[in-house]
Amino acid sequence: MQGAEQKAIQVTDLTVAYQDKPVLWDIDLDVPPGVLLSIVGPNGAGKTTLIKAILGLVRPAAGNVLIYDKPYEAQRGIVGYVPQRGSVDWDFPTNVLDVVMMGRYGALGWIRRPRKKERELAMQALEKVGMEAYTTRQISQLSGGQQQRVFLARALVQDATVYLMDEPFQGVDATTERAIVTLLQELRADGKTVVVVHHDLQTVTDYFDWVMLLNIRRIASGPVDEIFTSDNLRETYGGRVAFMK
Amino acid sequence: MENLSILTHLDYTLMIVAIGAALLGAVSGALGSYAVLRRQSLLGDAISHAALPGIAIAFLLTGSKTPLILVLGAAIAGWLGTLLILSIVRLTRIKYDSALGIVLSTFFGFGLVLHTLIQRTGNANQAGLDTFLFGQAATMLARDVLTIGILGGIALTVMLVFWKELKLLVFDEGFAASIGFPIRTLDILLTSLLVVAIVLGLQAVGAVLMSAMLVAPAVAARQWTDRLRLMVFLAACFGALAGVSGTIISSTASRIPTGPTIVLCATVVVGLSIAFAPNRGLVWDRIRQQRNRRNLKMETSRY
Repeated sequence: MQGAEQKAIQVTDLTVAYQDKPVLWDIDLDVPPGVLLSIVGPNGAGKTTLIKAILGLVRPAAGNVLIYDKPYEAQRGIVGYVPQRGSVDWDFPTNVLDVVMMGRYGALGWIRRPRKKERELAMQALEKVGMEAYTTRQISQLSGGQQQRVFLARALVQDATVYLMDEPFQGVDATTERAIVTLLQELRADGKTVVVVHHDLQTVTDYFDWVMLLNIRRIASGPVDEIFTSDNLRETYGGRVAFMK
Repeated sequence: MENLSILTHLDYTLMIVAIGAALLGAVSGALGSYAVLRRQSLLGDAISHAALPGIAIAFLLTGSKTPLILVLGAAIAGWLGTLLILSIVRLTRIKYDSALGIVLSTFFGFGLVLHTLIQRTGNANQAGLDTFLFGQAATMLARDVLTIGILGGIALTVMLVFWKELKLLVFDEGFAASIGFPIRTLDILLTSLLVVAIVLGLQAVGAVLMSAMLVAPAVAARQWTDRLRLMVFLAACFGALAGVSGTIISSTASRIPTGPTIVLCATVVVGLSIAFAPNRGLVWDRIRQQRNRRNLKMETSRY
């Protein structure tokens, strides 16, 4: 996995502030290609903001981000994004297939409408997440886990090399959690790089091979077995962590 | 005899007015769907109130009452008001609803002052500016209808051309930005379309109630369908229906302002939709509940 020096994601000296309050302070992060990385930290640690800063959705006060050595604007085509499920209104009048096809909008560009090819890609992605029976279902009638799978399918049709996922395990049932884990491991097996904002400390070692501990500053990042130590966790959570394996 | 007198009412003037009201109802209904889905129902209110001083200033500058000039003034003022709201939210810590309130009342107040000033000057030309407060569809002429048709047609065409982009903006702004669509530009585009719909309706419906023409048809349409395409189409139909029926009712007697009548018609459509639409309607909901309860009772009584 070492091999070339090239980094899938390289974050340097990144600082983001809302008003005058820093939410991310001087972050450095190197993600080698082909790893499954979880970003872990307490509430308000800036996990979502880090994802958004990598995607250029929030403007940093300082620092920069490179995806395979180029700025994000030049690499949009190879990055897939799964926003937090709660960030959209699921009562929006549309169905499952339509949402998944939105993953092709970037490749389609302006004005061109999705056609048969996009429909087929969306169907394949829905099969991968086990939602092929729900194509015409109105999205407000989905359970939380199903909504999450739809968002994952939308990212899959982006056919990206690097995936950024914001809390894909949040509020999903056990079946969906297992399905998502399988999917993440398949993506890694295909050589994709996947960055996941994660909340559940219990499962970090099982699901991921890399981890980043974040609390406004970067506490540590690297392979799970080196980094996921009780000392580092205590530093991240300020001694409030009542967990150890 | 009754029927005959109604028939004679349907003369040329009324037909022109009804066509105009139908067109603007359709345009504002379709575009209002986006405002409703974005939870920006009150933005329309701010825009229409903010447009008022624009009408007065356009009149003061040109001395003309040509609708196109007044509408242009209204559009510029409404657009500036909207940009001001968006900038206040972005640059200060003031929240969206407060920014809306500030801009709406300031612009509207300023507009009222200007209108009073114009009336005081006793300019013989001024009569008629009042119609922009509550609307008077009867003053609509063939060329006004043509203006509504052309500008509304352009707005709807733009909406259809950028259908996919606008849908994505409304559903998932963050994702839209991540795949490279300039959401601020799209936001301004969508808002500009709303401004067009609003200023077109000012003459007939008036500044005070124009926002209802954006919100009511869309809310009614949402009850009947779970598909965006159908919702926009239905909203346009409901808008047109309210426009025509409101105009005809208000023309049956003199001095009934058209705006409130059209809005009342739209409200009736909303009420009926909320009550009777399948799936979402209250009546069906109640029937379904009762059926479920009865079924459950039968199930449980077996044990």
